[in-house]
Amino acid sequence: MSKAAAFLLVLLLALLPLAAASAQVPVRTEQLIYTILAFNGKDYSATFAAENSDAIYLLAGVDSFLSARKALVYFWPTTGEWKTDTDSLNWFFPGTLELWDRAGRARDIPLQKFTYYNVKGEYELNWKVAVGEAVAREFNRYQELYQDYFKSVAAFQKANTEYESSQDALLQKIMKTRQAGGDPSTLLEKMKSMVRPVAPEPPKDYVVPPTPAQEAFILNLPRGEYTIRLKNPDGTVMEGSEKRIVVHERRRTNGIGYEVIPSDKWTRPEQSTTPSSVLHVNGSTDLYLRPFFQDEFADLAYARTVDNAARGNPNIYSWVRTQQVPHASIEVQTPAGPTLLGERLYYVEQTKGSGLGYTIVPFDPQGAHKGKAPNLIAYKVAIGKDTQALRLRALDGNGKPLPGSERQIRVVRAAPPAVLLLSLAGLPLALMALVLSLRERRYSSQAPAREALKSNSF
Amino acid sequence: MRDRIHAAAVIARRQIQETLLSPGLYVTLALGLLLGAFLVRGFAASIDSSGFNPQLNPLYDLIARFLGGTFGGAFVGKLFSEGPYLFALLVSFAPVFAYLAIASVFRFGLEKTAGAVELLTYGPADGTAYVLGSFLKDVALALLALLAILVFLAVSAAAGNLVLGPLFFWALPVVFLAALAVCAYGILCSIIASNASSALALFLGVLLLFLLILAGSYSIASAPVRSVSTVAATVIQWISPFFYTAMCFRGLQGGGAGALLGGLGLLLALAAALLAAGHAVISRKGVRA
Amino acid sequence: MIQTKGLVKRYGSFTAVDGIDLNIPRGQIYGFLGPNGAGKTSTIMMLLGITRPTAGEIRLLGEPYTPRRLDLRRRIGVVPEKHPRGVWPWMTAREYLGLFADLFEVPSAPQRIDMLLEKVDLASVANKRFCEYSRGMLQKLSIVRALLPDPDILFLDEPISGLDPLGIKQVRDLIVSENREGRTIFISSHQLSEMERICHRVAIIFRGRLMVEDTMRSLLSRITAEREVRVELEAPPADLVVRVKNLRFVRDASEQGGTLIVKVSKEGDHRKALSEFLIRQGQVPLSITEKIPSLEEAFITITQENIVMLMRGGAE
Repeated sequence: MSKAAAFLLVLLLALLPLAAASAQVPVRTEQLIYTILAFNGKDYSATFAAENSDAIYLLAGVDSFLSARKALVYFWPTTGEWKTDTDSLNWFFPGTLELWDRAGRARDIPLQKFTYYNVKGEYELNWKVAVGEAVAREFNRYQELYQDYFKSVAAFQKANTEYESSQDALLQKIMKTRQAGGDPSTLLEKMKSMVRPVAPEPPKDYVVPPTPAQEAFILNLPRGEYTIRLKNPDGTVMEGSEKRIVVHERRRTNGIGYEVIPSDKWTRPEQSTTPSSVLHVNGSTDLYLRPFFQDEFADLAYARTVDNAARGNPNIYSWVRTQQVPHASIEVQTPAGPTLLGERLYYVEQTKGSGLGYTIVPFDPQGAHKGKAPNLIAYKVAIGKDTQALRLRALDGNGKPLPGSERQIRVVRAAPPAVLLLSLAGLPLALMALVLSLRERRYSSQAPAREALKSNSF
Repeated sequence: MRDRIHAAAVIARRQIQETLLSPGLYVTLALGLLLGAFLVRGFAASIDSSGFNPQLNPLYDLIARFLGGTFGGAFVGKLFSEGPYLFALLVSFAPVFAYLAIASVFRFGLEKTAGAVELLTYGPADGTAYVLGSFLKDVALALLALLAILVFLAVSAAAGNLVLGPLFFWALPVVFLAALAVCAYGILCSIIASNASSALALFLGVLLLFLLILAGSYSIASAPVRSVSTVAATVIQWISPFFYTAMCFRGLQGGGAGALLGGLGLLLALAAALLAAGHAVISRKGVRA
Repeated sequence: MIQTKGLVKRYGSFTAVDGIDLNIPRGQIYGFLGPNGAGKTSTIMMLLGITRPTAGEIRLLGEPYTPRRLDLRRRIGVVPEKHPRGVWPWMTAREYLGLFADLFEVPSAPQRIDMLLEKVDLASVANKRFCEYSRGMLQKLSIVRALLPDPDILFLDEPISGLDPLGIKQVRDLIVSENREGRTIFISSHQLSEMERICHRVAIIFRGRLMVEDTMRSLLSRITAEREVRVELEAPPADLVVRVKNLRFVRDASEQGGTLIVKVSKEGDHRKALSEFLIRQGQVPLSITEKIPSLEEAFITITQENIVMLMRGGAE
């Protein structure tokens, strides 16, 4: 490399940090925002409405929590999201919320205490909220649980220390007895009979424990459009606080959808939510299905309930999963007749060796998977080499078919032959050629008569 | 009335014969079927172990990105929930229908300008019979095209173990009636305009306006576009066949039988109203070249 | 057969047809004349039911006629002035006729089409696309089309326009023969010499009004107060003209290159009296002819608004 080229390279490398320095830092602007903890049909999700947001979307007939604060807002290009920086600025609005309905009626809503937490359900995690007096109750319960736990831990530690000491002392005695030529069997018996204390299990009630009491305006509104604005403690209206609220509701409830988990892609399941939808699969693996209840929401309204800055289609309705159907069974129609599939536990095992991959195996809590938790609670639908199509439906715990749970599985191993489709597509052209040639033949069959056409006379 | 109906039938038969003797219908039908073939095969190639994955096929990747970016992921999900056939039906029918509608408008204007309509009305026919005849021709050819497309897609479904789902079958009458309403618009534009070119320009302009407003109101890409379109739609929707079509599809998607049947009825009523308007205008204007 | 009463057509403030009364009896060849812009086409369009009259009524075949009476149009055949050439380029003549046979629900249509094509000598080219036909052949085809339903009334608009002499004769012969079969023929044309030859009655319309409607003979006799007799003599003496002028029935006389031109009153035939006088004067008439005013002269006279003479019935 010549000296000039080397110099240029060094210069370039030296300038790179400057390039990084000149990259834009997200601009943080101070804004009055509404922090929203909205129920979205299955649990609570947190979002915020910036100053330029045209509306806040909430679900009708459920508690949703609004609070107002001043914070720094910036756009994060990496994820394409608007974010808040409450570490730098987090001024909480202490006044009241004035709510106007379409008829022009207004009422004031005060701040109320609430807390939220996450608990493990039978099949999935669930966010819950507690309001008012229940806040203290729930928080205290959580604290008591953990206090009991910590007490148990302390007791365990003490017992364990005693156990260890006792074991050491007995061991010393056994060694001395042996050295003295005596029979340590009694001491050995005593040592073996001692039971090691068992460490207490931490409470599993909470996946995310309740937060200390927070304050928010609690809104539980019927469907419609409303307007809100903030009133300072002195009764004046806070400038720039007006916001539209759109309260929407489910169009249909308790639909049945399926999560479709193929053996080879268990981390990326598909969903079949539309009742008339068909599951097209390539038949390379078996399928694990998880039926769930679902509710139907307006796409835009739901998306903006979950994330106020999201986009959605105002004219489309989408199904949203609420929870897995408990203790269901799946009836599969096969050529041999109906087969009932029960709910099973499964474990995902990494493929041993250098190759990447995994297999889904039945969960064995007493054997290979002792001390582990199952990865899946699902229904296995076997797809054989000859399987072309399957029809299935979900039955509830009493064996009754769940409405809207019917689905078809179609195994598509190959695309329709190109030759067939192209031939069919070309048929109109062939027909055209035939029709026009027959017509032309008819026209040109009387060639001598053409002479008569050339005459201008009558 | 009997004379008028008979005259309309004769005129329709003649126009159908003319269409069947020209290459346009066959070429556009072949094009439509070819597009359908690509869509069906592309869908089959997009299927993996868990279902439909558009990213596996370049064509569907492009379609999903475009439609998803414009109308949202939920829209794409619903469009392909039963398979490729709803989308394939719309795409396959589009070129044929465009040809039929445009040719119909142009032919009407041409025949009127050349005096052929007047010539027909020297006999037991009048302008209204000609309007009816043109419409009957559109009905017959649209049915024929849809039938051909249905057979093609059914064969492809059987060959690929795919499904023509209930949504597809319900979409057939929706598409058919929507096509008739659009054809009725074409006839009215032909009657109003003074010549074939201006009739075509008027017709295409009206359709484009309807389509843009509908697309805008469904768009997620831009809130201002959607807002403007939604406001415009409050007026346009009453006279737009595309909004009634959207109503039908909303009904199919779970809005209830009322929305579906209402939409179908409104499409029929719109076509009838447009034909009635055509009758009124042509009775007043006459058919003279 | 065709009657109108107070027929009016207005286009905005412009009155195209101003109260026309027509009475066309069955079995006649009726000529409808008028200069451009006189209201001919507007009148014809109303008679055909293409346009609706602003006022007045039309009776066709004894029944009230409006544009809605499509049933009555089954009994009318129309040969328009121009045939639309640019449309239906794919159609053969036979198919074209088949379309109209279908429209009119003509019984035994194929046979009737064949018969009519033979009649006009188009049978050999019937399966060719008619867009390739010459002007004359298109006119023939148009006539065949109009005759398909065996109509009671045949409307012809400029039927011989653009045809050569042979073609004109053939159309003339066809019209006359169809009329002999009982068809009422309504012709609108500028070819006055032809109209003069074949029409039984003519109507002349001018500025939306019917100026005159009469038999051909009566019309021609009405436009002048006198007749002109031409006598060819071998060598007429110079004073012969003066002597002729003194005759009671002579209005005026002159001599031109050996031909004595005598204007006599139109009552009676004075050729015999004139001949006898000339013989008595020692002259031998080589020929005596009477010049009858032409339809063209009548047309020009009328349209030059010589209304007074017409209103007086051509009297002096």
